[in-house]
Amino acid sequence: MRIECPQTLDDASGRKLLDDAKQQTRTNGTAITLDFSKTESIDARGAAWIVAVADYAREKELQFAWEGQRGNVADYVALIEPGLLAKPQKAKEPETLITKLGATGIQVWEEAQEMATLLVESIYWTAIAPFEGRGFRWGLWMDELHEMGVRAVRINFVMNFLLGLTIAMMSAAQLREFGLGIYVANLVMIGFTRELAAIMTAVVISARTGAAIAAELATMKVQEEIDALRGMGLHVPQFLVAPKLLALLIVQPCLTAIGMIAGLAGGMVWGVFVLEINPGAWLAQSRDAVVLRDVSQGMIKSVAFAIVIVLIGCHNGLRVKGGSRGVGLMTTRSVVMDIFAIVVIDMLFALLFYYVID
Amino acid sequence: MIEVKDLVTHYGETKVLDGVSFAVKRGEIFVIIGGSGCGKTTLLKHMTGLLKPTSGTIIHDGVNIVELDEEQIAEVQRNIGIAFQSGGLFNSMTVGDNVAMPLREYGKVDETLVNALVRLKLSMVGLGGAADLMPGELSGGMRKRAGLARAIALDPPVIYFDEPSAGLDPIIASGLDDLILNLNKLLGITFIIVTHELDSIRKISHRILMLDKGKAIFIGSLDEALNSSVERVRQFFERRPDEQMAQQGR
Repeated sequence: MRIECPQTLDDASGRKLLDDAKQQTRTNGTAITLDFSKTESIDARGAAWIVAVADYAREKELQFAWEGQRGNVADYVALIEPGLLAKPQKAKEPETLITKLGATGIQVWEEAQEMATLLVESIYWTAIAPFEGRGFRWGLWMDELHEMGVRAVRINFVMNFLLGLTIAMMSAAQLREFGLGIYVANLVMIGFTRELAAIMTAVVISARTGAAIAAELATMKVQEEIDALRGMGLHVPQFLVAPKLLALLIVQPCLTAIGMIAGLAGGMVWGVFVLEINPGAWLAQSRDAVVLRDVSQGMIKSVAFAIVIVLIGCHNGLRVKGGSRGVGLMTTRSVVMDIFAIVVIDMLFALLFYYVID
Repeated sequence: MIEVKDLVTHYGETKVLDGVSFAVKRGEIFVIIGGSGCGKTTLLKHMTGLLKPTSGTIIHDGVNIVELDEEQIAEVQRNIGIAFQSGGLFNSMTVGDNVAMPLREYGKVDETLVNALVRLKLSMVGLGGAADLMPGELSGGMRKRAGLARAIALDPPVIYFDEPSAGLDPIIASGLDDLILNLNKLLGITFIIVTHELDSIRKISHRILMLDKGKAIFIGSLDEALNSSVERVRQFFERRPDEQMAQQGR
């Protein structure tokens, strides 16, 4: 089927060309040949419609050819020729449930191996290598202490204070009905020392520090800074992970302790000003409610949370692919994994403290 | 078509451009050259409305873009194409969607034509099969070419191109030069190109502007540049190091 192209091939005449091609090959015809012998000019949209005719021919399995082009039109057709000849890409085979499960299983296994390797290397470069004289970046460690610790005190205090206030408010509404308002002090004290301060602080640190670690390392990976480090024979865990890990191992328990004080203060504000309990009585009740083991539960958990937050942040940062989009995805993934891991670890500690040790 | 007059700009206390003046004619390939840090990319950013100068005028088809507000500059920018040094592709979209973006935003064209235009533009830059790839999967040269495909999506009369050949192998770089020449010849696109690749300059330039320490020290054709009496211009084309650097090398 020969189709004569118009003198000027633009948006309108190109659209008509496609319509003509469709109409003329609807009933019969095994080929489309475009005749450019009368065409004197083509603009970009006209050229795009020629590509659309070629696509149509390919879709209907018709042969496609062109002829008669001269002068500038010939040059233009030569320029767009790859677009006329290009074959559509093969559609990917749909994934079955088994292949999806298999791929997910392999990915989880590979990630677990990578994380285990990173954990071992980080512990070595944090706790062993400095004593072997292999170097530790104390300057960066000091900066991290300031960034992760000092600069997080305010937000951590406020979050725990408000949580303490809320817990006191909600529990008082129940306990007051039985005349047990003073036991709100016990509830807040035990809740914060064993559980809430550690959890709330870990969530704050995950959102603040964990996300920052993932974004920093991911950006470094994208900008080939990580490759540059490796290219100089430097160890990534030594250079980047160890100072962060040691800093958070110190900072996280400190912030958890501050969180405990803030939570108790929040609860006390409600107890003293709303429940009208004497401050001395509130403090005495709180002191009698708690034993050292309750505080140590919260502190031990905070150490585990610190390791997990640094490890997950670094792991996700180093796994980034692509550019800015990848950085965003890995930062989000890091925070989601942090919070999931925090809840799972908390549950495991609860099992340990209440069913194994007790 | 485009006229720059007495352009002065500062980064903090440092004067980056110092009274630069020149004019670009319709349909020419105008190449801006100069050593690293001489203000080439800054000048390009001023001409595309991405940066405001300290003083001076930049006239695009009779309109001084220095005096325009953000909305008015956006209107001017819709009629120019900008191809960035690293492509400037959006990493969250496929290459095809990157090229289609200006068509969908401003082109007011139906999806059949958008798809055909995307395939056409990508074919023009030799990336016919790359529409479904993500930018992260492309090499440096492919990213530059994809960036050019996006820049020509709306068929702008002017394209600004920052370092088209930098970091590319000679075969790809030469292909990109041919593409610029073809687009200039067949579509009449005016190119304003920042580069310091001598082979590219020799192959594509109609006229050359040379910047040195923020000043325009030469404007003219390639032949005039090669026979220039300005020492810095000759040094550039003869690839001679500065005296100080040459002594350090000895």
